Amino acid sequence: MSFLRVNMTTETVQWEDIPEEYSLLGGRALTSIMINNEMSATVAPLGVENKLIFAPGYFTGTPLINTGRLSVGAKSPLTGGIKESNVGGTVAYSLARLGIKAVIIEGKAVGDKYFLLNIEAKNTASLVSADNLKGMRTYALAKKLHEEYGEKKSITCIGPAGDFQLHSASIQSTDLDGRPCRAAGRGGLGAVMGAKGLKAIIVDRQGKIPSEITDAVGFQKAARAYAKDVQNDEFSGQVLPEFGTAVLVEPINAAGAFPTNNARFGQFKGIGKISGETMARVIKERGGKTQHKGCSQCIIDCSNEFVTEKGEYVTSSLEYETIWAMGGMIGNDNLDAIARLDFLCDDIGIDTMNTGAALAVAFDAGYREFGDADAAISLVEEVAAGTEMGRLIGNGPNAVGKHFNHSRVPTVKGQGMAAYDPRAIQGMAVTYATTAMGADHTAGWVVDKNLEAFGGTVDAMEATGQVEISRNAQIHMAAVDSAGICDFAQSGLATEAGINNVFTMMAAKSGQVFGREEWTELGRRVIKAELEFNRKAGFTKDDDRLPPMFYNEPLPPHNVVVKVSDEQMDSTFDFLRNTP
Amino acid sequence: MKVCVKLFGTLPAYYPGCYPDMGLDVEIPAKTSVAELVDLVRIPPEQVAIVAINGMLAKGNQLVPEGAEVKLFQPLNGG
Repeated sequence: MSFLRVNMTTETVQWEDIPEEYSLLGGRALTSIMINNEMSATVAPLGVENKLIFAPGYFTGTPLINTGRLSVGAKSPLTGGIKESNVGGTVAYSLARLGIKAVIIEGKAVGDKYFLLNIEAKNTASLVSADNLKGMRTYALAKKLHEEYGEKKSITCIGPAGDFQLHSASIQSTDLDGRPCRAAGRGGLGAVMGAKGLKAIIVDRQGKIPSEITDAVGFQKAARAYAKDVQNDEFSGQVLPEFGTAVLVEPINAAGAFPTNNARFGQFKGIGKISGETMARVIKERGGKTQHKGCSQCIIDCSNEFVTEKGEYVTSSLEYETIWAMGGMIGNDNLDAIARLDFLCDDIGIDTMNTGAALAVAFDAGYREFGDADAAISLVEEVAAGTEMGRLIGNGPNAVGKHFNHSRVPTVKGQGMAAYDPRAIQGMAVTYATTAMGADHTAGWVVDKNLEAFGGTVDAMEATGQVEISRNAQIHMAAVDSAGICDFAQSGLATEAGINNVFTMMAAKSGQVFGREEWTELGRRVIKAELEFNRKAGFTKDDDRLPPMFYNEPLPPHNVVVKVSDEQMDSTFDFLRNTP
Repeated sequence: MKVCVKLFGTLPAYYPGCYPDMGLDVEIPAKTSVAELVDLVRIPPEQVAIVAINGMLAKGNQLVPEGAEVKLFQPLNGG
C-alpha cells in the first residue's frame, strides 16, 4: 500500500511507501499517531502547517463486512486539539481498493486558489483547478462532479460552511447512491479542508487491488463467523434495519436523558412525534425507505430515505443524533422540519449536532422561541448565506454563547455534546469530559451499561463505577475505530467468541500474534497519542470538565446533577499520562 | 389491578397489530415487579433491557403501581 501525500502550496502529489512504524496501523490509530508524530501541536488549525489525513481502517478493503469506515484526522479549529472524525459511505473502501493507506493533505493553496484532488488509480492522482466551485453546495457539487468524472466515483467534499472555514463545518462523503449525505461531522474538519483550498476529493470506485492478508483462509473463516453474528443479533439484524439509530429516541427519553430545550429538561413532551417508530411509520406511509444501504460492505442497512408527503426525496439518513439536535434540543417536534434541517446541514456541509446545539444556545438566550422550526431553518440557511448570525451559528455553541453573553453552553473543549444528558447517564459525563475529542459520544458509548438489565449494571445517576466503564469503552473504541469496524456492527464482537474472531483476523492480516493484550494496547496507544498531542497544545486537567450547568442545575425528571468528581475525572487516564 | 404496557422497537411483533403508542391493557396481581411483568406479557427477558414506569427509569425489582404506564425497550447499541 502507499501514502498519497499532497502539498497544496506547491500543488504537487507524491506517492510514498509505508514506513514500517505505520504498516500495522489503520483508521484512527494512523491519523492520531501520525498527527502526534509529524506535527507540532501548536500549529494554527487553519494554517499552512496543519495536516489533514484521510485513512481507511486497518480492515477496510478486506472481505470483512461493515468496514467501509474512514478516519479523518487533523488539529481541530473547533476544539484546538486533535480530532478524528469518522465517516462511512464509499470513500474508505474505494481508497483501500486502490491500495491507498492514507491521503495526507499538507500546506495551503496560494491566494484564493481552489482545487479538486482527482485520484484515478494507484500512482495516478492530480490537483485540478476548481476556483469556480467555491461556495457550491454539496448535492449540486456531487451531481456536477459525477457528470464530469463519471458515476463510479466517490466524492468527499465540503460545502459553503467549509468554504467559509466555519468551525462546525463537516466533510461530506457520498453514499452508494452518490449522495453526499454521509458526514465526518465533528470537529470542524471541513474548515481545515477549506483552508487548504481543497473543495473535493474524487476517488475512483473501481479499484481491485486486493488487501494484503498473510493468512487469507484464516481471515475468511473468521470474517464469515463475524458476519453471521452481526446478522443473527437482534439489534443489528432486525432493529437497525427497521428503525435505524432513531430507535434510541424513545428509550433515551424514557430514561430522562434526552437533552431538551438546551438541556433544561431530560424529557421532551413531543417525543412521540419524532420517535424512531413514528419516523419508520411516516417513511413507509409515504413510500420512502426505512431500510437503505448507505456504505460499502454493509450488511446492516441502518440508513433510510426520508421523503415528503408526495414521496419526494428529502434526506438520507435521518439518524438519532440529528433527530435530537434538530428536535428535542431546540424544542422542535416537527419531523418534516428535522428532516429538512438534516438535508440542509448535509448540503451546506455542517455538523448537525454542533449546529443543533448552537441553535439551542441562541434560543435559550432568547434570540428565538424554543420549538420555532422555521427560525431554525432560516438560521441554517444563513450559514450558507454568510450573514453575521449565520457565521455565529456555523462556528458552534461557544461562539453563540459568547455573542449573547449566555453561559448555558453544553460543550466540552468547544464541541457540543451529543444526545445523552450526562446528568442522567453519568458514564457519558466521564466520556464527554475526558476524551481528547471534546464532548463526543462515540469515543466511549456507555449508555448500555448505564441503562440496561432493567436499570443498568451501574446506577446511571451515580458516579460509582462510571470512570472504569468509560475508560474501558474509550480504549476499546479507539481500537475499533482503528480497525475500521462500523460502530453498529459491534454485535459481531460483543461475545468472547466474537472478539476472538477480530483477534484472529488481526493476526491473519498482519502475520503477527494478536490477542486481547494487543487489542487493549492498540487502544491505549491511540488514546495516549491523542492526550499527548492535546497536552502539547496546551490542554490541562481543567479542560477535562463539563460546563457548570451540568454540576449546578438538577435535570428533570430525575432532578440529578453530575456527581463524578474532578478527582474521578482525572483518574480516568492518569495511568496513560504517567507512563512512558 | 390494571396497567398499560407499551412496546417499542421490534417488541410489538410479539403482539401482531400492536403499535407502540397503543399499549396493552394487562391485568396483574398486586405487588408485581418489573421483571415479573415482563414474564407475564410473555416477552423473553433478554429482549427487554430498559423499562420506564410513568416516565421514570425502573429497576427489575421495582413494584409496578396500579394504573401505571409501563414502557418496554430492547437492548441498545450504537450512538
